[in-house]
Amino acid sequence: MTIAPAELRARLAADYQPVRPLRSPWARTLWIVPLAVVALFAASIAFNVRQDAPDLGWLGVWGLSIAQSVMGVLVVGAALRESIPGRDWSRGAIALWLAIPIVTVVGVTLASWEASPVFLGAGWWLVGGICFAGSAATALPVVAFASILAARAYPTRPAVAGALLGMGAGLMADAGWRIFCHFSEPAHVLSAHLAAVVMATMIGALVAVRLCGLRPSSVRRGGL
Amino acid sequence: MAEDHRLRELMREYQSGRFEAFDEIYASIAPAVRRYLLSQARDAAKADDLVQETFLQMHRARHTYDPTFPLMPWTMAIARHVWLMDRRTLSRRPWAPDDVTAMDLPVKAEAASFADRVEVRRALGKVAPARRNAVIQHHVLGFSFKEIAERAGIAETAAKLRSSRGMQQLRTLLKGQDK
Repeated sequence: MTIAPAELRARLAADYQPVRPLRSPWARTLWIVPLAVVALFAASIAFNVRQDAPDLGWLGVWGLSIAQSVMGVLVVGAALRESIPGRDWSRGAIALWLAIPIVTVVGVTLASWEASPVFLGAGWWLVGGICFAGSAATALPVVAFASILAARAYPTRPAVAGALLGMGAGLMADAGWRIFCHFSEPAHVLSAHLAAVVMATMIGALVAVRLCGLRPSSVRRGGL
Repeated sequence: MAEDHRLRELMREYQSGRFEAFDEIYASIAPAVRRYLLSQARDAAKADDLVQETFLQMHRARHTYDPTFPLMPWTMAIARHVWLMDRRTLSRRPWAPDDVTAMDLPVKAEAASFADRVEVRRALGKVAPARRNAVIQHHVLGFSFKEIAERAGIAETAAKLRSSRGMQQLRTLLKGQDK
């Protein structure tokens, strides 16, 4: 019979205490929902609902944004599942989790453009910059909170988990921002709004890697 | 199937406060974990170190285990992570005294009783790299265990353990040469 080394046993015994198992990743995803709701309403409350709302209708404005936001919450859920050892996604699944949101944003963009084509004429860079910065900034609190949730688990691939939660946060933030921004021109939406989602994805990956670097690890900090 | 169920139950008990369950978990899964780590590291001493680090990480991450899922995939994911982190740490560490034959080794009285400097060098070359590094850094270069631990990115206890195991291996090798 294999016996645990005395030093290892003593070390574990030193800080041993009962723990409560983490809830399932999808249950913990529910913690994100209030932030998703805030992100959904923030821009429209702070500024206004897009001017072409009557042309788009309730489904075109709120319906598509809610769908995008729900997609964002699901992607954060995928990130939280990725953070559990042994529950990590396959490469194909990760590619799908990253591709589906992009397809969602493109789909929402084209649907909005089809229903209400609004060109962005003058001030391309200014408006683009505002939409990019606004979306990315709205995503940051969600990225921060989701990163803490992920770090509470044990992500063995923090960059992957972080990228997923960043993308989810970006989707939620953009879902709210598109309720305010009425420029449906695909070139604007894909360059500014989608770029903000990509930026949130990168920030998520960086934050998760950083946070997990702070997690006690015997390999990096202690251990036998 | 029954074994899997028993392991889940043991881990659940370990989570909920029965520390003794650890011994049974260790006895059941340590051989498999060691086999996996040995297949990756191809160095028995290294694999032993990594097994202990894996169990330490399992202890720290025990709250992430969901008893409704099998224990082994969770354990192996942690073992793989430990192996990859160790490999990354090694790749970031530029200094490793592999060429011990060129070093000027002050043979201590303890070693002198077994062999001369040449034999010590030769034996040291056969000690597992991680342990050899710890022995050389502590006994030859005079680093404290704290300094060795910082350089290697491991715990002070781990540095002590590596050094003491390295010395033990060295003694065994020198005794072997003596005969």
